[in-house]
Amino acid sequence: MVMEVDKISNLPGHITDKILSHLSLRDAVRTSILSRKWRYKWDSLPYLVFDNQSVLVSSPDQTVIKSKLVNIVDHVLLLHSGPIEKFKLSHRDLQGVNDIDRWILFLSRGSLKEFVLEIWKGHRYRLPSSLYCCQNLIHLELFNCLVKPPPIFNGFRSLKSLDLQHITVDQDVFEYLISSCLLLERLTLMNFEGFTQLNIHAPNLLFFDVGGVFEDVNFGNASHLAIVSIGLYVNAGHDKNPALGNTGNMIKFFAPLPHIQRLEVQSFFLKYLAAGKVPERLPTPCIELNYLSIRINFNDREESLAASCLLRSSPNLQELEMLARPEEQTAVRPAANILQEGSDKCPFNQLRLVKIAGISGGSQELNFINFLLANSPALEMMTVKPASTNGGWELLKELLRFRRASVQAEIIYLDP
Amino acid sequence: MYPMSDADRQVIKPEIMKSYIWLQTADDSLQEVEQEVATFCPFICHEIHKGMGSSKNYPISLPQRVNPGTLSLILDYCRFHQVSGRSNKERKSYDEKFIRMDTKRLCELTSAADSLQLRPLVDLTSRALARMIEGKTPEEIRETFHLPDDLTEEEKLEPLRNFADDPRIRLLNTLYARKRKELKERGKPKSVEVEGELVDDRSVDDLLSFINGGTSTVDSFGIRTTPCGLVLKRLNHGQCCSVFMGIGEDLCTPIWRRSDSKGVRASKSKKKNRRRKDQLKHAPMSCSTVNSTSSSNNAIDIHKESNGGDFICHNSKVHNHSVPVLCETLKLQDIEDDRFAPEDELDDLDPAMKEIIDREVEDFARRLNSDWHERIQELLSLDQERRPLPITRPIYNLRSSPCASYFRTLLLALSVQSGASYA
Repeated sequence: MVMEVDKISNLPGHITDKILSHLSLRDAVRTSILSRKWRYKWDSLPYLVFDNQSVLVSSPDQTVIKSKLVNIVDHVLLLHSGPIEKFKLSHRDLQGVNDIDRWILFLSRGSLKEFVLEIWKGHRYRLPSSLYCCQNLIHLELFNCLVKPPPIFNGFRSLKSLDLQHITVDQDVFEYLISSCLLLERLTLMNFEGFTQLNIHAPNLLFFDVGGVFEDVNFGNASHLAIVSIGLYVNAGHDKNPALGNTGNMIKFFAPLPHIQRLEVQSFFLKYLAAGKVPERLPTPCIELNYLSIRINFNDREESLAASCLLRSSPNLQELEMLARPEEQTAVRPAANILQEGSDKCPFNQLRLVKIAGISGGSQELNFINFLLANSPALEMMTVKPASTNGGWELLKELLRFRRASVQAEIIYLDP
Repeated sequence: MYPMSDADRQVIKPEIMKSYIWLQTADDSLQEVEQEVATFCPFICHEIHKGMGSSKNYPISLPQRVNPGTLSLILDYCRFHQVSGRSNKERKSYDEKFIRMDTKRLCELTSAADSLQLRPLVDLTSRALARMIEGKTPEEIRETFHLPDDLTEEEKLEPLRNFADDPRIRLLNTLYARKRKELKERGKPKSVEVEGELVDDRSVDDLLSFINGGTSTVDSFGIRTTPCGLVLKRLNHGQCCSVFMGIGEDLCTPIWRRSDSKGVRASKSKKKNRRRKDQLKHAPMSCSTVNSTSSSNNAIDIHKESNGGDFICHNSKVHNHSVPVLCETLKLQDIEDDRFAPEDELDDLDPAMKEIIDREVEDFARRLNSDWHERIQELLSLDQERRPLPITRPIYNLRSSPCASYFRTLLLALSVQSGASYA
């Protein structure tokens, strides 16, 4: 007769924590009624996640949800012992209630390292001043919040990753926030309000992801910045402003980014880049750029110039994606082929994969495709996806004619 | 005693030159293993750097938690994963097969892997153990892991009641409790059965027409049928999307949340969101059809709750991401119900009453389904100038459709009012 032995209860604490951390908070807390040894195993969990899965509170009534949720969080925080390293509150039905202030105060007295707060309902939640005292914070993620630190705020000294979406911040507060976090490596900004100048002074920044409405982007010293994704959601009329002087936005943007590896130019950002004087190629090429994705309106001459400048300045490109912006229906005039204006050849010796989408067979689009095919000796695959079935046949006929520098290039036509 | 290790087999092929190291487990038994396999464990790697393990006389002493059985399992794991050419898919499928063992061995393996600092294996096994705990009742978990049930009853009931709620039962309790309350308030029930029958027909016809082709408007409860302010949030891996229904003026424009490199207006994410938008557009419509006004006031209140409740029940059961999207829409459509009964009144549910009502629901369902065809034929043949009643698929599967609880509660309301039974 083999005695059934309870092996799991005697595992070391950090392993039990690991096991419980794979469960929802609800399941983890429920283990406390399993046996005497399990009664308090859950309360040293370093990660507390309160979302719709960990807290099964469902009711159409707001006040009931609020009271139940607050009750649960209060209970858990009270019964918990040991350090809380990560705290995430992201329940769909919770609005920005004052209880959150209380919880943040409690957390700030410990050594909180990761804080995620997502307010899915209601207005922007104003963060309490105690949050700004969490000096051990490494990752801060906020959704639908109002960021207004007290005057004595010194920045988050340990912060490496900042994710702000749907937030309201003043311009100077924003700049100070970024520049005072000396270790900042990742920055994500989506749909922000209260500031329009993206003055980013973060010397250790590696990853930068922005989507919103802004007027200008300025990097201070960004010599490590490797991954950039920028989307400008508004089509501001960027007329050629003589006050800009000799440097257009193109040069100004790329000058502080010598080590950029991945770049995504989204929404209307290419229009921003096209403002001012656009050179044929950048003064210093982006030699480390291996992935490029551009949202472009092929019929806009300035944008096409900017795109071709960028392409000519990226000799080591491996993957390219060009997406046509669908909303603009400007008149398709047969534009002069700006790509032939360049004097010397521009070989993309490493370009393996090209994706073109949303095109309608216009001459500028075909010029680009022709240019790419003729200058990519290492090309393996190009996928072309038109916006609609109109003119698809014509497009195919043109595609067939183009010369290809690469013998093994496959051109795949995807149905719209 | 041990299975013949690969090390022994390799001796047969002399052309493959591999270096071997010696490991010693707590029971003093020795094992010879290829160095490249063993160094996958950081602990062994460190020991080799210290100069140990090169010969039989100086074997690497493994920590106490590693017995020979678990050692061979760990070495199998290392042997597979140290080969660099394997795809992620291959590794994942190997892992899934690897962890299929009883809980005792799984625990020992976790412990041993931890002492050897083999983090990927510890992650794998702890996730497997977590899966065995997830979603189970305490009794099941105790059985799986042979845990003693040594807490007193008092200790068990301590402050965890909040976590053990089943939303379905709570909702059902609410409905029953409210019905009972209304009964008490109304005093004597309305008498005539004829009256009851008239009410019955009208409600059912209304119900049928609503289900078949209701209009989507703003009904008297302010439930809008178009989503306002659709927001999507993409999480770090760029895969799942959550939905945020903005309430309030400042959240009426479509907004996006993401923290991965893919752009909002990039074609891929746009398509994803369009799909979701379509899903959401359908959801409010179905919500409104059932929520549209019906003859009796009580029925309306119950529709609201039951509709919400049913979708909420769906939400708690289904774990894929698109269904919660639908549920969120319905939940968040500002359903204000200030007469929601507090929880304290719900505990005294009469099981006998519940049984009676359940039986009545089944009977009513049968009756309704059998009458359907005759009723339709009647309507069509009798009067062709009347506006045609659109025929749709009858509601046979009462249990799973949202109409199920509608009928259930409708029956409840009607049986309470008229006092008649539909047996």
